[in-house]
Amino acid sequence: MAVATRGTANDYLQRAPSPSGLADVLNVILDKGIVIDAFVRISVIGIELITIDARIVIASVDTYLHFAEAVNRLDLAETGGVGIEDLQKDGSKRKTQGALEGAKEKLTPGDNKDKDKAKESEKSK
Amino acid sequence: MTTSPTEAPPTAATYVYGVVAADAIPAIERPGVADAAVHALDHNGVAALVSSLPPGERRIRRRDLMSHLRVLEDAFAETTVLPCAFGLVLSSEEAVRREFLEPRRDALLDLLGRLEGHEQLNVRIAYQEDVVLREIVAADPAIAQLRERTRGLAEDAGYSLRMQLGELVAAALGSARERDGRAILERLAAKAADVVVENAGEDVLKASFLVAPKQAEAFDRELERVAEEQAPRLRIDVVGPLPPSAFATLERGAWDS
Repeated sequence: MAVATRGTANDYLQRAPSPSGLADVLNVILDKGIVIDAFVRISVIGIELITIDARIVIASVDTYLHFAEAVNRLDLAETGGVGIEDLQKDGSKRKTQGALEGAKEKLTPGDNKDKDKAKESEKSK
Repeated sequence: MTTSPTEAPPTAATYVYGVVAADAIPAIERPGVADAAVHALDHNGVAALVSSLPPGERRIRRRDLMSHLRVLEDAFAETTVLPCAFGLVLSSEEAVRREFLEPRRDALLDLLGRLEGHEQLNVRIAYQEDVVLREIVAADPAIAQLRERTRGLAEDAGYSLRMQLGELVAAALGSARERDGRAILERLAAKAADVVVENAGEDVLKASFLVAPKQAEAFDRELERVAEEQAPRLRIDVVGPLPPSAFATLERGAWDS
């Protein structure tokens, strides 16, 4: 969990003592640290790990359409001040997270479409 | 399983969390992977933090991943620790001494010396998308124009124009990310002992910084300065202080005893 921020940067600098999401935990412990050539790696199975892939699934076509939509949605008449702040607080963050969560859902265990989705994202690479 | 001549019962597969100096063994109270008790195996100046693993194939749960991390964090709170990657298992406690600690003793001691007191901070920097998209529209007349043309169009009618627009925006965003990422990396790296940069993907920068005790304050100030200067276009997430897993690597040469 993010803890309270120090300093004046507040909203724009978030600190946490320890990784909380699974992807962040894995990032710290899975491929980092000492390894030795002879070691037996215990099998890291478990469908949960699939969610890491969610970070890379946004296909380029979807990305382009997303950005086209995003810039079209900008209200450029609002320049400076409150408008921008409101937008960035409520808009961007939520949209991005929404997209990632959507991707994650597609990869959730038990979903029969997993294979198709994997193919799709492969194709688009 | 081979029976060790020096230890009466053949010991079970042994999970290794990390390495500490033998004169600074931390007390680890919490259970480790597979809920087994964690203890230290010392050998000639170095000590491995280990627990025994039940025989047979083991399905790793989230809990095990967290246990590995928490054991290292507990050790790190007390002393300098060299984290091992998750999943390091040797056939017995004797094998940990014989195959891991003994042949790599010098390299481990050297690394312990170099990382003493250092902490790892994982920094991830992302754009506040709408803010940066505004900058992009304002900076590129072609994008601004395409935006005007596609705004009023129905979804079908404007598809190819919209793709064109999106492609331009994605490219502009990509080069902005690269430019900003490089500049910020330079600033932060100047206040750190070492850095490991990762593929930032959709982010501006993703990197682990190794920070020496005397650098901690300056690094922190630089982070705040960047955050202040770049608000509201960037958001910085800092995780740590963590045990320095990204910097605990043995040279390949050190593996060959």
